[in-house]
Amino acid sequence: MSEPFRIDAGALRARPKAAGEAELRAADRAGEAQGFLAREPRRGGRRPSPRTGQVHAKVLPHVRDEILEEAARRGVTQGVLIEEAWALYLARQEQERRPGAGGPDRPGS
Amino acid sequence: MPTIVIASPKGGAGKSTAAVVLGTELARAGARVTLMDCDPNGSLTLWAERAAPPGGVTLRSGVSEGEVVRAIRSAEADGAVVVVDLEGVASRLVSRAISQADLVITPMRATTLDATIGVRALQLVAEEEEALGRRIAHAVVFTMTRAIRSKQHQGIERSLREQGVDVIAPGLMERAAYSALFEFGGDLATLPPQGNMEAARDEAARFARAVYDRLVAREAAA
Repeated sequence: MSEPFRIDAGALRARPKAAGEAELRAADRAGEAQGFLAREPRRGGRRPSPRTGQVHAKVLPHVRDEILEEAARRGVTQGVLIEEAWALYLARQEQERRPGAGGPDRPGS
Repeated sequence: MPTIVIASPKGGAGKSTAAVVLGTELARAGARVTLMDCDPNGSLTLWAERAAPPGGVTLRSGVSEGEVVRAIRSAEADGAVVVVDLEGVASRLVSRAISQADLVITPMRATTLDATIGVRALQLVAEEEEALGRRIAHAVVFTMTRAIRSKQHQGIERSLREQGVDVIAPGLMERAAYSALFEFGGDLATLPPQGNMEAARDEAARFARAVYDRLVAREAAA
């Protein structure tokens, strides 16, 4: 049986170790150089759209399909349809801003 | 108080066993110890669920990559010797924990596979020493060893020593008592008899003493 030992707490101290952002990045770079990579899933990333439930939602799925079909029918890109829709939107805005003019949903007084 | 990081990218090398044996033996020798479970498998947490950790030992579970540096510094400032158990993968969590280590211990079974993969931890320590501009003490401990050392064991150990690697003696033999720690919780003093308990307690105490001596020698050399 070996001699039981008692720890002299006074003899044990942590060495000064920097733990700022620069040191953290240096440790990360050293790890990456040896293949020690980030493996935890990232938290707080982009959340699904509450409207469509998609992370990279642009439009509702059925609208996306309709745009896709129309663009294919006309032989243009989807961007062309978006540009045309934008032009219509701007025209409507302009019409609404005209004094005394009602919008498409608001008959003029 | 110093931080001891148990690190090897090889799974099944004996990291959690080494962490529990070391932490509980240091506590029995009078230290306050924080065991930090950074392994998503939660081996230390399972150990602590079997029975309340012995006096002087506190468990901190579920420490993630984003928290590990702050958690270690907080435990150190609290006056505890920190023993960090890591998952057996090459992850950023490992490199961040090592950045805060006073001593890195790499458990290694005496097989070529364990040695080949375990050496990556030593290479990481060397890379971090250069990046951080400070010396990080590190050592290897052989685990699950047999009473009669195989030629492979002898060859691996000789090769490590020739490369200047510090090898902790005694290693941790393959013992029923060490496995049973995860079945019953607690420490070797409270464990129901499993195999040769006296030899297990003796070896565990000498292992903890060897680690303590390295921490004190490092302090004296600083």
